[in-house]
Amino acid sequence: MGAPPVQSAAGAQWGALMPDGFEERELVERAKQDPDAFGALYDRYFPQIYRFAYSRVRDQSLAEDVTSEVFFKALRNIKRYTYSGHPFSSWLYQITLNAVADHYRGLHGEVDLEEGASLPSTAPAVVDEVVRRDRSRRIWAAIDQLPRQQRAAMVLKFSEDRKIDEIAHILGKSSGAVKLLLHRGVDRLRKELPQLEAELT
Amino acid sequence: MMNDPELEGLFSDPADRAVVDLLKTSRPAAPPLDPHFHNYLRAKLMTEARRMLPARASRSWLPFTLSLKTFAPAMAAVAAGFLVVVGVEIYLHGQTGGPQVACDCAAFKNKTNVGTGEPIVIPFTGPVDKTAVAESVVIEPATSVTKQWVGQNLVIIPDHPLAPNTSYSVTFKPLATPTPTPQPNPLVRQTPTPAPSPVVVHFTTVRPPVTPIVPPSYKSTNVSYSYDSRLADSGTILSATWTPAGQILATRPAGQRGPGAPTPSASATPSPTPAGPPAPKATTDVWLMSSLGTPIRILVPGGSLPAAAPSGGLIAAWQIAPGNQANLGVWDLQGVWQANLVTLSGVPDRAPVWIGQDRIAYVDQGRLHVVDLHGTQASGITLSVQQGRLAASPTSPRLAVEGTDGSVVLDLRTTGSTTSLTTGASGFAWSSKGDLAFLVPRSASTDLYVGDGQSFQKVATSPVGQSWSDLSWGPDATSLLLATSASNGSGVGPSLLLVNRDGSSPTAFGPPSTEYASPQWSPSGDLVLFTRRDEGGGRAFWTATATPSASDSAANQALAEVAKFMLARINGDGAAAQAELDDAGLAAYQAGASSLLGPAGSHFSRYYPVTVQLSTKPNAFLVGVRIFSGKNGVDTSFFEEQLTLVALGQQFSLAPQAHRYLIDAVSASPAMLLGHGPTVVSVEVVQTPPGQQVRVHFDADLKPQTVSSDTIQVKDADGKLIDAHVSFDADNHLATIAVKLRPGTYQLVVTTSVTDINGNALAQEYDAPLVIGR
Repeated sequence: MGAPPVQSAAGAQWGALMPDGFEERELVERAKQDPDAFGALYDRYFPQIYRFAYSRVRDQSLAEDVTSEVFFKALRNIKRYTYSGHPFSSWLYQITLNAVADHYRGLHGEVDLEEGASLPSTAPAVVDEVVRRDRSRRIWAAIDQLPRQQRAAMVLKFSEDRKIDEIAHILGKSSGAVKLLLHRGVDRLRKELPQLEAELT
Repeated sequence: MMNDPELEGLFSDPADRAVVDLLKTSRPAAPPLDPHFHNYLRAKLMTEARRMLPARASRSWLPFTLSLKTFAPAMAAVAAGFLVVVGVEIYLHGQTGGPQVACDCAAFKNKTNVGTGEPIVIPFTGPVDKTAVAESVVIEPATSVTKQWVGQNLVIIPDHPLAPNTSYSVTFKPLATPTPTPQPNPLVRQTPTPAPSPVVVHFTTVRPPVTPIVPPSYKSTNVSYSYDSRLADSGTILSATWTPAGQILATRPAGQRGPGAPTPSASATPSPTPAGPPAPKATTDVWLMSSLGTPIRILVPGGSLPAAAPSGGLIAAWQIAPGNQANLGVWDLQGVWQANLVTLSGVPDRAPVWIGQDRIAYVDQGRLHVVDLHGTQASGITLSVQQGRLAASPTSPRLAVEGTDGSVVLDLRTTGSTTSLTTGASGFAWSSKGDLAFLVPRSASTDLYVGDGQSFQKVATSPVGQSWSDLSWGPDATSLLLATSASNGSGVGPSLLLVNRDGSSPTAFGPPSTEYASPQWSPSGDLVLFTRRDEGGGRAFWTATATPSASDSAANQALAEVAKFMLARINGDGAAAQAELDDAGLAAYQAGASSLLGPAGSHFSRYYPVTVQLSTKPNAFLVGVRIFSGKNGVDTSFFEEQLTLVALGQQFSLAPQAHRYLIDAVSASPAMLLGHGPTVVSVEVVQTPPGQQVRVHFDADLKPQTVSSDTIQVKDADGKLIDAHVSFDADNHLATIAVKLRPGTYQLVVTTSVTDINGNALAQEYDAPLVIGR
């Protein structure tokens, strides 16, 4: 009889392993004193934080650095965390955004696109690529080209299934502002991707 | 819109809704994820968490209403990842009628392929007194470990890699006590709890993936690119180089977590801090890492640009000092500061260079300096060096220097003696045999020169439009790896090229579609460290496994015969075993030189080769094998045989690899019982001109003070003691004996004065022949 199959981190559904009915708030409170509980929080939120970090930086090594920074910051500050009516993950997303912003602040020449800016000049190339790729990848590649705040809102809503109130909390904006970001994002996708629009309509 | 009222209310335009529907029905592709990253980060976090948070080890935070049957496997899966899970059947609740906390170990018992670098995870099915259980664990052979609880899993992390090919036992001594029953009723007489018996789990570590030495038949010209892997912590490595023992010296940004790392507040302060103004904030640290990139320990806080001494054991590095200064210091591989050699203004931009064991060259203010390990200037040479590089020969005190006025080889035995090199020579690389290779860039190509340090010849020229760089010799000095790149701006990324010493047979090394640079061959020849451009445009450090050509390996053929011979013996097939013997070999076994099928009442359970050496006879190898006897799947004793294999058909002028090898002679050691102190795992002889290194690996963590020239000796054929210098690498259980031996046969003796960290001595003296070939 052989050993049971070893489960790789890549294949494990870490977050899904938390037992049902286990209150997140209780776990967070325990994690303020108990390393094992913090480990359980890490296991629960690692996939989405790593995924979100990667969606922002599009680089594996950098996503690892950001994820590492997020959880170490969370560990160092968890005693100061107080429940505000939003999921614990909102706090982690906030830390992620700050970590990503810190990274971009450290890069000279990095341009932060404003909400009113148009897509970068590489848009035609992106469009060409979008046309070539499959349907799903086309639209997510296009989201990568959106201005930073729009991209964050779109990813949190459509990839991470966060509620608008929670996204507003994460981004530090009002719910109305988030709705505007989502609206502009969808509108931008529809207008800037004529091939896609043609296919869709 | 996927039943999302928020989106329903937000988007009323059909065209917008179509986009939203597409978004909701599709997901971005899963991001690439290093399978080890989750577990690695978790281990770092948990270490930090245990330091910061007061662990409540005596009581689990788990709610007791949870179904243990469902929860324990789930957490085990969480914790396991790539870890090794060793099951153990252990009952800690002795109360009559109470639940027994256990884990079925039937599936894991006597596991035989446990990785040497992997933590051991022991799952429990219910709450236990974690502190008591952790304290009760004893591992033999003696191994220093760190124990952590991850949920209901006890994770045992060896502080150093386990020895390969070794049977370990994990014993839970009867210290373990059950979790106290809440609110015991004082009126109820407690049933005496029977003392639990020690529970022992045996497992055996894997064989190393390749022979840990450069075998006699190894030819770097014949290796091929096997597979590659990204260093585990590649994202934090700024520079990396091999140590002679095959570990990695890395410069990393300051403040990285890992074993021995100071707390964040202290990490910015280099140590030892000289008196005077406060130390400046460090930007980098020097780390020792495994060949997989796992941090082993921080060696030089605030350090950068390390260089390993040729014999191992020491490193030199720059360490920032107050007043915008830098110290050139020496540390051992435990991170213990040894000496400060010089202090310079500013921060140097290149690593110091060891010249032998006792001198170090460096560049300051555009001038070359050479100091001894007391910091005394050891050379009267004055040479201007601006941007140029330095490289020292491993075989003699010669230094290749890219000077301002041209490149030269300095002979430090005679001050001022220089040999001028071809104009433009750069990118020096010395081989283990003392050959010097360098590159001379031309307008559209690059010339490769190789010579003995005094005379040189051009052996190859790159194709027009291609430039070469980053020379690295194979450990056998027969070939070079180098990086190629387009010099005409075509945008073609760099790749690696393997070329013979004489410039012949240039062969691509690695897939052509990926950009590789800065190859560094590992000391044992089985790995190549290099940088590779990531999709995101960054550089990451990777290692590639270099596989020697089996068909061209005479030693591999001899080992294959040994494998057939040993398999037959383990299976009790005397006829098949005898088929591997020639007449002399058969006569030796029949005369009782050793037992072919095991002493009466026992049988052979497993074996592994300990040494492979060229014999003093032509076309003959001396193969040392360790043979284990066991009962019920557990090794109980072992002995060693020295098998002499000779090639059949020597009278024909065939290449050695065309011969079949048969066992011609045998000698055997007495049997040694296992579990009675540390033992020698393997012995290697490595040519390090002008002498040799005898590397003795043990299976246990040893007391360093018991490893010396008094306890590990080399004797000649007359039993006379040979002058030797013994050094010890505690991390790898490795004693290295530096000797200068003429061709012939010698004897290695490891006495019973060597003890493990628990004070257990070698059960028996260990003797092994050492053959210094032609």
